[in-house]
Amino acid sequence: MIQQIMEPWRWQSLLAEWPKFASAFVTTLEIAVFALALALALGVVFGLMSTSHNRLIRIIARVYVEFFQNTPLAIQVFFVFYALPYAGVALSQVTIGILCVGTYTGAYMSEAVRAGIGSIPKGQFEAAQSQGFTYIQTMMLIILPQTIKIILPPMVNQMVNLVKNTSIVTMIAGGDLMYRANAFATNGTMSYGPSYLLCGFLYFLLCFPLTTWARRYEDRLKKRDIQTAEQLEKVEEGLA
Amino acid sequence: MKKLFALLLSVTMLFALAACGGGDGGTTSTGRTPADITAAGVLKVGVKTDVPGFGLLNTADNTYSGIEIDLANKIAEELGVDKVEFTPVTAATRGQLLDSGDIDMVAATFTINEERKLSWNFTTPYYTDAVSLLVKKDSGIEDITGLADKIIGVATGSTSMKALTDAAAEAGVTLTDANFSELATYPEIKAALDAGRVDAFCVDGSILAGYVDDTNHILETVRFSPQEYGIATKKANTEWAEYLDGLIKGWLEDGTMDQIIADNGVVASYEG
Repeated sequence: MIQQIMEPWRWQSLLAEWPKFASAFVTTLEIAVFALALALALGVVFGLMSTSHNRLIRIIARVYVEFFQNTPLAIQVFFVFYALPYAGVALSQVTIGILCVGTYTGAYMSEAVRAGIGSIPKGQFEAAQSQGFTYIQTMMLIILPQTIKIILPPMVNQMVNLVKNTSIVTMIAGGDLMYRANAFATNGTMSYGPSYLLCGFLYFLLCFPLTTWARRYEDRLKKRDIQTAEQLEKVEEGLA
Repeated sequence: MKKLFALLLSVTMLFALAACGGGDGGTTSTGRTPADITAAGVLKVGVKTDVPGFGLLNTADNTYSGIEIDLANKIAEELGVDKVEFTPVTAATRGQLLDSGDIDMVAATFTINEERKLSWNFTTPYYTDAVSLLVKKDSGIEDITGLADKIIGVATGSTSMKALTDAAAEAGVTLTDANFSELATYPEIKAALDAGRVDAFCVDGSILAGYVDDTNHILETVRFSPQEYGIATKKANTEWAEYLDGLIKGWLEDGTMDQIIADNGVVASYEG
C-alpha cells in the first residue's frame, strides 16, 4: 500500500480519471442528501409516534424501529435490488440507496428523538396544555426546541453514519464514490493505494464539516444556557 | 484556515499510516523463498471459493477442489511441505494479500496482462480461457451487436469489462461505464441476471459453464480475448517466482497439466 502511494505514475493515472471520481462523488452526495432528508422526516415522525398516548400508534412506531434496527442494511439493500424485481418493482440503484439508507437511519433517529422527548419534564407538557397550546404547537414550539441540545450529539452520529453507509450501494453497482474507487483499484493498473486513499479523504471531506458544525453548535447552545443562568442569578440577586 | 489545513494534512497522514499498518512490513521484505517455505512447513495459497473446476469451496465438509487446488497441492509436494493453507480471495483482495505477505502465491483464475505484471510476477500460463457471454434465452441477444443498450454484469476487478469493450468496438458497438455493473461475486451476477438487473453475464467461459441452467445459454459464437491464467507472486520475490515458473513449465511439457485439467472436468485450454 505505502509503496503504491509513493509511486507518482499511479497518482497520474488516478488524476487522468478524475471526472469519474467527481461524478461518483456527486452520486454519493445525492444519495446522502436525499437519504438524510428522508431519515430526518421519518425520525421526527416516528419519534413523536413512539411518545404518543395511543397504543396502536406506539406499536406501529415500535415495529418500524425494531425491524430496521435489527436487520442488516446489506440484506435490506440486497432484498430490494435482487428480490423486488420479481414483484415488478425495479428501482434504480440511487433510489434504492436513498430509500434503504434513509429508512434505516430514520429508525435510529426516531429512537434519539423519542429519548429526547422523554427527557423533557412532564411539567412542560402540562404548562403548554394549560396555556391552550395544541399538540402540534406544544411539540413544535415548546418540546422539540428543548430536545435539540440533548439529541444533537446522537443525531450527528447518525448523520455521519448515514453518509458513510451510502457506500452500501457499491454492493449493487451503485456508481457511488466507493464503487468508483473500487473499480479503479481493481482494473487497469490496479492502483488501489492512491484510489482508496483518495476515496477515504473524500468521505472525510463530507463528514468532517458536519461533526465540526455540530460540536460548535452544541457549545453555543450550552454557552447560551450558562448566560441565561447567570442573568437569572443576577435578577434573583436584585430581587433579594 | 491554516489550522484546519494542518489538521486535514495530519489526518491524511494518519490514514496513510493506518493503511500500511496491516502489512507487517510486507513492503520492505521480499517475501519467503522456497527454502523458507519448506522450513516453515506451510504453503499459503490464495484461491477462489466460487469457481467450479478451478477453486470451489465445498461447504458441506469445508474442503476445496479444482485445478488450482490440485496445483497448490502439487507445488507443496515439490517443496516437501505437508500443509497447504488456503485463503479465500476475490479479484479485489488477491493483489493486496500478496503485497502484505499474508499469502505466498495466488492461484485464482488470475489473468495475466502487461499492466498487472507491473505489480506482480506471473508464471507461464497453466490454462488459457476465452471470454464469453451468458444471456437469458428470451433476451433476444444473439451476438455482440445486441449489447448497445444493455447492462452487462461483470465481476469487480476482472478483465472481462475491458475485453468486451474492445471486442464490441471492433464490431462497431460503443460500450461505456453505464453499460456495466461491477458486482463482487459470480453468484451475485447470476442473481442479477435472474432478476433482470443485468442482461448479460460476461466472464471467462470456464467460469460461465458453472452457471448455465434452463433459462439461459452461453452465446457459442461469442468467444474473444484469450485469458491466460498464471500463478501470481509478490513482485520483489523473484527467486520464488522463478521456482514456480520452472514447475509449471515442466508440468505443461510432461502432460501433468493436461491431466489435472481433465481430472477436474474442465474443457482443454483455448487455442486461438
